[in-house]
Amino acid sequence: MPKVEMANATDVVLKVENLKKFFPVRKGVFSRAKSFLHAVDDISFEIKRGEVLALVGESGCGKTTTGKTLVKLYEPTGGKIKFLDRDVTDLRSDVDKKWFHSKSQMIFQDPFESLNPRKTIFDIVSEPMNIQNKGNLKYREEKTMEILKRVGISPPNAFLWRYPHELSGGQRQRVAIARALVMNPEFVVADEPTSMLDVSIRTQVMKLMMDLISDMNMSFLYITHDFAVARYMSDYISVMYLGKMVEYGKTEEIIQNPLHPYTKALISSVPVPDPEFKRKSIQIKGGIGKAIDPLPRCRFYDRCLLAMDICAKKEPPLLDVGSGHKVACFLYDKKEK
Amino acid sequence: MKPILEVENLKMYYSTKLGYVKAVDGISFVLNEGESLGLVGESGCGKTTTSMAIMRLLAENAEILSGHIYFKGKDLLKLNNEEMNKVRWAGISMIFQAAMNSLNPVYKVGDQIIEAIITHEPNVTFEEARERVVNLYKLVGLDPKRIDNYPHEYSGGMKQRAIIAMSLSCNPDMIIADEPTTALDVIVQDMILKEMSRIQKKLNMSMIYISHDIAVIAEVAEKIGIMYAGKLVELSDSVTIFKRPAHPYTIGLMSSFPSVKGEKKELVTIPGEPPNLLNAPDSCRFAPRCPFATKECLEKEPPYEEIEPNHFIACFHPQNLRKQVNEYAKG
Ligand SMILES: Nc1ncnc2c1ncn2[C@@H]1O[C@H](COP(=O)(O)OP(=O)(O)OP(=O)(O)O)[C@@H](O)[C@H]1O
Ligand SMILES: Nc1ncnc2c1ncn2[C@@H]1O[C@H](COP(=O)(O)OP(=O)(O)O)[C@@H](O)[C@H]1O
Ligand code: SF4
Ligand SMILES: [Mg+2]
Ligand SMILES: [Mg+2]
Repeated sequence: MPKVEMANATDVVLKVENLKKFFPVRKGVFSRAKSFLHAVDDISFEIKRGEVLALVGESGCGKTTTGKTLVKLYEPTGGKIKFLDRDVTDLRSDVDKKWFHSKSQMIFQDPFESLNPRKTIFDIVSEPMNIQNKGNLKYREEKTMEILKRVGISPPNAFLWRYPHELSGGQRQRVAIARALVMNPEFVVADEPTSMLDVSIRTQVMKLMMDLISDMNMSFLYITHDFAVARYMSDYISVMYLGKMVEYGKTEEIIQNPLHPYTKALISSVPVPDPEFKRKSIQIKGGIGKAIDPLPRCRFYDRCLLAMDICAKKEPPLLDVGSGHKVACFLYDKKEK
Repeated sequence: MKPILEVENLKMYYSTKLGYVKAVDGISFVLNEGESLGLVGESGCGKTTTSMAIMRLLAENAEILSGHIYFKGKDLLKLNNEEMNKVRWAGISMIFQAAMNSLNPVYKVGDQIIEAIITHEPNVTFEEARERVVNLYKLVGLDPKRIDNYPHEYSGGMKQRAIIAMSLSCNPDMIIADEPTTALDVIVQDMILKEMSRIQKKLNMSMIYISHDIAVIAEVAEKIGIMYAGKLVELSDSVTIFKRPAHPYTIGLMSSFPSVKGEKKELVTIPGEPPNLLNAPDSCRFAPRCPFATKECLEKEPPYEEIEPNHFIACFHPQNLRKQVNEYAKG
């Protein structure tokens, strides 16, 4: 790979093609046959510079697995990940790994678990610079203070030598954000970063992230189960169901005009903070299962009230139904319907 | 309308080595028969503590310092243990926070409900109790065939339905539900909330819903109480709370909540963080975060007053909505 980076060569920062991540599971206690849980099953998308893509879906649909695979905490089972025009699916050499990890970061859901309790705030935030051998101690201290201040931890020098347990949940999540951003990454995965925070703190952290994303012109994958949060945080929304991407489009378009029967049910179930609003939810059958050795059919088939014969026979592809709004459902597939 | 529960100036503190944690500090409200009240507030503001005080299930270090809790006219704080035991379950039953994780994994779900019935009503036979469980299952939308399954054979939503069935098992007049849907995905949450509302109306029960989620409360409660740092800061019918909130904290809360419906409004942030309740001062506890705070707010405690019929607020400077949102936006 060339040493010189061509960071601005293209607008597309991350390009994912047919990404798969399967986990082996045992069928029964005595069974030798291997089964696979299809946590992420053949998904493709791209994120441009400065763009936020929200990954939305119920728990267990594969959001975290997608995020971890993209920042290489998991090896993909199949597919291709291209980052800044380089194929990073298999990173062999230490130099390549170091390069990749200096440019991509992940923020986790639980601010109480994601920070090492035995390390000071300075150690935690400056660690990525240590690993990357970036600058001397003085530089690292300055950089740490600067980013802590930027995320609203002030005065930063009052916090440098404290431990995570001495901070509130909101402050911890700010520290986790500071750590992720201290190396100026190009791409960040944020996995439900505000779901453990209280309402008033959640809005503060959401606003902070919006500011940082636009200031630093980062590309973001924002994982959330909450459509209302996704509406505020993202430019595009992608809806996942049991390892599949079932719908993708501009955020406001998905919120106002969802097409997939699953997306419709999800959005119509979100409680509305207005006692005079009479919400009508769209029903679906049963509950969410697990995609273990799934049949080649629409993964939503069992729960769909609109299912047709064809839905049991093959998988609906994700097709563009106009101006970039994509949906994987035979109801919108003119060829098949 | 007949009141079923009247809470008057209730104070419940936790004593710790460092001093008192003023978890519930002088709150008052009335719940009428057949009415649903939502208590909303952020983590640690005293929601669970309030319900524990009503049920008189006190932690070892908890102390009720003052107040009255009248249930159907009788002060629960004056009852002896035996009398209080009769009120629990048959009078007031409670769905505890994260209750669905407390089902015992080694017993069948139905048996756990049968046991609860027989413990509280010793005259009921096993067969009668089982018959009651069958009816309860039908009421909460569970298939009675599932009675003999173990908890791990239930999904999250089914467990929560079983917990609701259990809370109904001794025909209570009133239920307190502490974060009944917090652990559930949105589709299941929607079904459970609908089920609870339906049952509440059908049985004409009184309900207290506790949640940190104002959208959930907006959908199920007729009356809403906003709690902040151990205090009830505002209380009124739900439309007033949402359309004409007067307390600066309520206004901030309402305008910081994202929604999927309506136009996409700019989110407003409340600066700062909730205070530590350890040795909390006798001033307005919201004052350090409040854009309208004056010297008075930092020195004295605002009285809890009725500013218009059935609209209570504890604030020296009740606001009008539009003006305040602008103030917040200015920061
Ligand atoms: N046994 C205890 N000893 C000391 N302090 C306690 C005890 N139990 C609760 N507290 C404190 O009392 C306050 C109120 O707690 P409570 O559990 O009632 O809050 P809550 O509103 O239900 O919060 P959440 O939304 O997190 O459930 C908090 O500051 C909490 O830390
Ligand atoms: N390390 C793992 N080993 C086996 N199965 C896993 C692992 N991580 C996740 N899964 C399974 O993969 C599916 C997707 O999980 P996850 O990505 O955590 O979903 P989400 O973040 O959307 O809740 C689930 O069925 C989950 O149980
Ligand atoms: S493809 Fe068929 S089963 Fe799947 S969501 Fe569309 S209509 Fe329903
Ligand atoms: Mg997850
Ligand atoms: Mg609680």
